[in-house]
Amino acid sequence: MSDDSGFTDEQRHAINRVLDEIIPPSQDGRLPGAGQLGVADYVDRALRSMPALRAMFVESVSALDTIAGRRHARRFAELATHEQAAVINEHASSADAFPPILVLHAYGGYYQHARVLEALGLGSQPPHPTGYEMQPNDLSLLDPVRQRAPMYRT
Amino acid sequence: MADEPVDVLIVGAGASGAALAWSLAETRMNIVCLEQGGWMNPADYPGMSGDWEARQLGDFGLSPNTRGRREDYPVNDSNSPIAASMFNAVGGSTIMYAAHFPRFHPSDFRVRTLDGVADDWPLDYRRLAPFYDVNARMMGVSGLAGDPAYPPKEVPLPPVALGKLGETLARGFNRLGWHWWPSDSAITTQEYEGRAPCINAGTCLVGCAQGAKASTDITYWPAALRQGVTLETHCRVREITVGDNGMADGVVYYDAEGVERKRRAHVVVLACNGIGTPRLLLNSTSRHFPDGLANRSGLVGKNLMFHPYAMVTGIFDEPLEGYKGPTGCCIMSQEFYETDAARDFLRGYSFEILRGFGPVSTALWGMSMGRVASGAEHHRSYAELFDRTAGMVVICEDLPDAGNSVTLDPHLTDADGIPAPRITYRLSDNSSRMLAHSVARATEVLQAAGAKDSVSVAPLPFAGWHLMGTARMGMDPDTSVVNEWGRCHDVRNLFIVDGSIFVTAAAVNPTNTIQALALHIADTIKRNLANLFD
Repeated sequence: MSDDSGFTDEQRHAINRVLDEIIPPSQDGRLPGAGQLGVADYVDRALRSMPALRAMFVESVSALDTIAGRRHARRFAELATHEQAAVINEHASSADAFPPILVLHAYGGYYQHARVLEALGLGSQPPHPTGYEMQPNDLSLLDPVRQRAPMYRT
Repeated sequence: MADEPVDVLIVGAGASGAALAWSLAETRMNIVCLEQGGWMNPADYPGMSGDWEARQLGDFGLSPNTRGRREDYPVNDSNSPIAASMFNAVGGSTIMYAAHFPRFHPSDFRVRTLDGVADDWPLDYRRLAPFYDVNARMMGVSGLAGDPAYPPKEVPLPPVALGKLGETLARGFNRLGWHWWPSDSAITTQEYEGRAPCINAGTCLVGCAQGAKASTDITYWPAALRQGVTLETHCRVREITVGDNGMADGVVYYDAEGVERKRRAHVVVLACNGIGTPRLLLNSTSRHFPDGLANRSGLVGKNLMFHPYAMVTGIFDEPLEGYKGPTGCCIMSQEFYETDAARDFLRGYSFEILRGFGPVSTALWGMSMGRVASGAEHHRSYAELFDRTAGMVVICEDLPDAGNSVTLDPHLTDADGIPAPRITYRLSDNSSRMLAHSVARATEVLQAAGAKDSVSVAPLPFAGWHLMGTARMGMDPDTSVVNEWGRCHDVRNLFIVDGSIFVTAAAVNPTNTIQALALHIADTIKRNLANLFD
């Protein structure tokens, strides 16, 4: 059951599990998975003003349980990680798959998360008010251009 | 007295309305500006929070149709390959522009004489040059003197940071022997007139929280208000009213509560951009002007020009630090600016070197281009792109075509029920050939700079930033809407100062020229106050 207050814990858990399949942890352990970061909360916020789309997400979560029940006679949340992966894989090619916008939100939520930005070398703070240092301009590169005659017509 | 007519009523507080208000303020006339948006609070700009990139898809998106702000009006652009973009607030579209600030060239005002196309302007570069200089000082323009593509000009501040990305591309241009130069930008690179210098945050397109980018809410408006100009926000003008004598006598507008009000004026000035101005004129019908105000020529709304853009993105092996620095343009090339008879198109284009994609944009662009995968390959494919892209756009000159137009949509309205504009636009064969040429040359220079691959999009569908030509300037009332100083031929106390009055589009960003024209028009008004309506 979902309402305007957002996903239930179980729905959030299921969506985070799907998000980990879209952006899994990096093999070197430097970057977490999208679900590990809790990007489902970002998806939840993004859907706040879109009840019709939210309803589609909730139906998709239910479909994970349906597939899990048929394959393993258990609920999705009760499956082992590799079993969940197989269910997610089957679900992705079904009529009940998550709307494609999930991937958009997965990338949006993940690549603005402070932990990811730090791992990418951008620091964990927003661009303002600190900004970035940049190298001084090497204007000697203009030497050949300065040799040119005026190019404009009058 | 509230019902006493004001001396000058300006509609729109963006680039041109602000410049004109400031210039006229010294006359001590009673000047009022009505703006349908409000004041922006820089502390609320997205760059102050971690979700700034994603907000470019939401409340700070390019299209007024998707932002969901009451201050905006919808634009039906379904019959155009290029979607219109504008922002409504004090500062107008300068809130979100890149502040790339080139001037037009002398040849841009003489295309009929030089190249046999379109029409010459009724004024020339020399007439506007002093106003470009004033505008450079008021907006705080950075750049570098000595560009061989321009006559000598004044640039108050040193250029923006080129960075590793800009210098990499500069070497590419040098290898081909092509022109390039640090861009003129309305971005402070040092402390200037109380404004802090740019901190290279890369968030120009969602408002500059630093105040380094020159939006007119922090440049012209504070100066104009200090001199006594009145600016009223959240006032959306529905129509300009006309008296029995056929002269404009004021406007009807809706205030912040949606209450219809009337404001009388001796002079009305439209500064609503190349879509908003024809929309307002076409909405202003009367016994004297049944086809729209000042439209006896039939040219109001005709000859809409965008700049057809191409975007060519280079992918490099090495990190470029492309997420740093002013977004819009660090260097510019005008190697192919002037007409060359050896090419299969007339007029020309500029290359503008942008920056790379930020982290979210890298993922979304990569996904849309099939270069970023989900699942096991995600991190590998993402790492191949992040901080390894260099954005480059081509801005092509658009030529006027009466078939490209702004009309009133019969069904769509804004939040106050005012008919919305509808755009009809077709890319010309000349523009298509120019785009093809430019993409090939852009690919060449990216390769010369060391790119291992490149991806192009042409025309760029969301790039309808520059709105021009829909109330063109000229000496003949049969073939133009306003004269050489922005006064409507048909209504002698009605002036237009925005991009509508452009005769041709040139191949550079128009804001500097829009403002120079507004200053020129204000100057002419001041010099002709005694016989303004003769």
